[in-house]
Amino acid sequence: MLRRLLARWAFPALPIGFAVVFVVLPLALTIAVSFWTRVGLVVRPAFTFTSYEAFFAGARLLVFERSFLASIEATVLGLLLAYPIAYFLAFKVSPRAARTVLLLFTVPFLVNYIIRAFAWTWLLGRTGLINTLLMASGLTNEPLDWLLYSDVAVLIGLVTSYMPFMIFPLWLSLSGIDRRLIQASWMLGAPPARTFLRVTLPLSLPGVFAASIFAFVGCFGESAIPVIMGGVGYQMMGNSIASAMDVLNYPLAAAISTVVLAAMMSLLLVWYLAFDARAFLGMILRPGK
Amino acid sequence: MNSLSIWTRRDFVRIGLASAGAASAWAAIPGTARAAGGTVNFADIGVGDPGGDWSLFTKAANGWNVNLVAIGNAPSAILNVLVAGGGTASYDVINIVGGMQKPLVDNDLIEPLDTTRLPAWSRDRNIAEFLGKGTPGFNFIGYQDKLYGVPTVLQGDSFAFLPEKTGPLDSYAALFDPKFKGYVALEDNYTTAGQKTALYLKHANLAKIENPADMTPEELKTVVDFLVEQKRKGQFRVIWSSFQQAVDLIVNKEVYVIDCWEPMVFVAKSKGVNAVYADPKEGYLLWAMAAYLTKNPKRSAEATQAAYALLDFMLGGWYGAKITLLRGYMTNTDAPDYAKAHPDQFPAEGAEKVAAITANVHRKFAQGGTWQNRWPKHVDVYETEWARFKAA
Amino acid sequence: MPRRRSATWFVSWCGLIAVLFVIYLPLVPPILFSVTPAEPGGMLTLQWYLALWRDPVLVSAIGTSLEVGIVVAAAATILGLGAAMAIRSLRVPRFVLALMLLPLFVPGVSMGLATALFFRLAGFEVSFAKIAIVQTAWALPFATLIVVTAMSTFDPVYLEAAYVSGAGRWRAFVDVELPLIRSGISGAATFSLILSFNETIRTAVVQGPLNTVQTYIWSTYKQVGLSPALYALMSLLILLTVALVAAFVVGGARTSPAASGVNPRGR
Repeated sequence: MLRRLLARWAFPALPIGFAVVFVVLPLALTIAVSFWTRVGLVVRPAFTFTSYEAFFAGARLLVFERSFLASIEATVLGLLLAYPIAYFLAFKVSPRAARTVLLLFTVPFLVNYIIRAFAWTWLLGRTGLINTLLMASGLTNEPLDWLLYSDVAVLIGLVTSYMPFMIFPLWLSLSGIDRRLIQASWMLGAPPARTFLRVTLPLSLPGVFAASIFAFVGCFGESAIPVIMGGVGYQMMGNSIASAMDVLNYPLAAAISTVVLAAMMSLLLVWYLAFDARAFLGMILRPGK
Repeated sequence: MNSLSIWTRRDFVRIGLASAGAASAWAAIPGTARAAGGTVNFADIGVGDPGGDWSLFTKAANGWNVNLVAIGNAPSAILNVLVAGGGTASYDVINIVGGMQKPLVDNDLIEPLDTTRLPAWSRDRNIAEFLGKGTPGFNFIGYQDKLYGVPTVLQGDSFAFLPEKTGPLDSYAALFDPKFKGYVALEDNYTTAGQKTALYLKHANLAKIENPADMTPEELKTVVDFLVEQKRKGQFRVIWSSFQQAVDLIVNKEVYVIDCWEPMVFVAKSKGVNAVYADPKEGYLLWAMAAYLTKNPKRSAEATQAAYALLDFMLGGWYGAKITLLRGYMTNTDAPDYAKAHPDQFPAEGAEKVAAITANVHRKFAQGGTWQNRWPKHVDVYETEWARFKAA
Repeated sequence: MPRRRSATWFVSWCGLIAVLFVIYLPLVPPILFSVTPAEPGGMLTLQWYLALWRDPVLVSAIGTSLEVGIVVAAAATILGLGAAMAIRSLRVPRFVLALMLLPLFVPGVSMGLATALFFRLAGFEVSFAKIAIVQTAWALPFATLIVVTAMSTFDPVYLEAAYVSGAGRWRAFVDVELPLIRSGISGAATFSLILSFNETIRTAVVQGPLNTVQTYIWSTYKQVGLSPALYALMSLLILLTVALVAAFVVGGARTSPAASGVNPRGR
């Protein structure tokens, strides 16, 4: 009896155990350190809010706001691009072709992200490919400065970096929708737009959830694209934390990380409250739960 | 009929056990044992890699190999890896930009050196000339009067420019000249760009700064206020944070004046771009790279001897000439003579280049300027103020 | 459902190809740089593709990255599957989901440092395993979420049908559920591999005496600049994967049951 219980629960328990040991414990350590104090260059255990005060009072808060805004922009833009593509692949194209296109979307990402970021600077620079073509074709007289080292450049870098991470989960949930539900909606007389809004879109919410999370947290944690493609001194949270560690200010680094964690968890909480669990977990939840 | 039904539960269990066995076999191989025989684990920031060929060292050190691990140079990267990542046990020698001894020694990460075990030490005249005790240069190899590092690279920094676009330039004022608005780049580093700006402001009498190498919080605030004002006026195109980025800026002619390191000019020239490294009248920013011995009580006596052999090797002519040729920095005084005396290993133009670079950097050190200070007294304030500059 | 080969279908394909074009654009410079000669004005050359294999640090890095990548892809997928099942069977699905998503919300450098300290305190120093663990911890939320998304459209009533027909839990899972969530599983594995191939910050803290391609690139790009050999490596990777995709298309991969018309969801 016990053996059967063990066999049934061992497999699901493994990842939870892994998460607790290798994620929760180090995280607890980080949160603890954020309250410690710093005497000279030595870190001592204590319970103080000085690091948090330093964070909220300083320039780092601006970095946080900028990371947040850039991530939201990139996520929304990414969704607007990825959803139609995923819809097209799930409904209007043969499964073989869809899989091929999805694979094609993942190929560029085996190339290191640093090399891809530099490739973009080569394309977007004043003497880069795009400016050269624009001037050669006569569309502009001067190179466009705002293509690189600007918010636009960072947005381009972020969106193109996270496209496959968004298309795939969207396609996954769209292609899994029971077609008979859509057919039923037609048979009941709903026009295509209404069918989409009332049937397809809600059923694809798990994919939207996954895609948004991937894009948002991915962008928020980016450390290379901001410094390689961003404007003067453009940086995001990863850079800010490393900079604090550069002067051994571990409590401050831990405080920044905790603030980021708290912000993300709050967003997740908002999502949980706004949507019923069935909306983004779908049929994983047993009926009647 | 789906194809997976031919698999039974037993198959999955077998596969699972096999992969677990393979995974644990992989995990059980300690990283260092991949090389046969003794290996010195050498963490380096990329500059100290002589192209992968350590055969001359192996011959001189009774068959010990060198395993080079590429690490980052940021203090956070180095400290993280040494303190948390088990680095003192995984690395024997680390070769980084010097000046960080304080946090390294305070955290018990490096050992003082016994120069009697380094026969090449006395042959390197740079040490006595520029890095003696009591001089600011000593801060790159020692701490509190004790010697910790072997100087592997020495260099004097200024800035680069494209003469066809700017004409001849001889002062850091060019970085802030409104003529080049939007075509200037600075390094994202308060101990180089920040210190050079302070040097300029002091010489131009635009600010009262005692010692650009170790500024007070008030002096620092003046420097950063100046930089923020320049940034708001649109003077800078970008603040670069990697070698690759700076080289691209020059080679693509994205900027005309750039605060950078000399090797970038060499790379640009090799790609056909006419870039010149300036000789500013305010002087140069002097610095050195040093190789340290990590503190590992569990290291065997043979391994320590091999590590000392590596440190000695890096003070030698072959290594020095190779690094000067590959990276463009001055290394040690044996290098030019060695390169000339071994035409089989260094072709004639290579030897000339080594001699030219060494002579040029020597001249810069003789002229002077300000020694880079990587760990100023108020380094916290430096970091916060620089963050303010970047966020402005 | 008949496919409408209308104007919109054609325009949509054009739009899709345009997007693919933009995504592939950053692959052009590395390929170009990998055949640029050392001196300007020379002929295009393949010397960098050979130089690549003569660099011992790079070669060892490639080996480590490959090994770690495979381990992480396997481990993250299996653990992700287990996590998705845990979400399904335990009574606190949203809590388990939040727990599994935790690594996503913590900045990489902090997570790497904290995990490394944790290893240090526990006295665990096997570098390869440390790298594999931090990368798996990073890939796990992605893998979990992908499998969860795939399972979200899988109606457990099919499992009930299998039980009613006499199948055990294992048999029911393998024969009924697995084929329908296969895309999710292979997607999770692919993404874990991609994440491993790009993971730098966490790996750099625990790498010990090992090099990975990512930490090597990170170190060299900051201090000495990217070498043409690296571009050659990336170009080889691109060519290899494109060749694999071509083989998939031309060779006619095994059609999954979903496409062979047995799908009860009516497609």
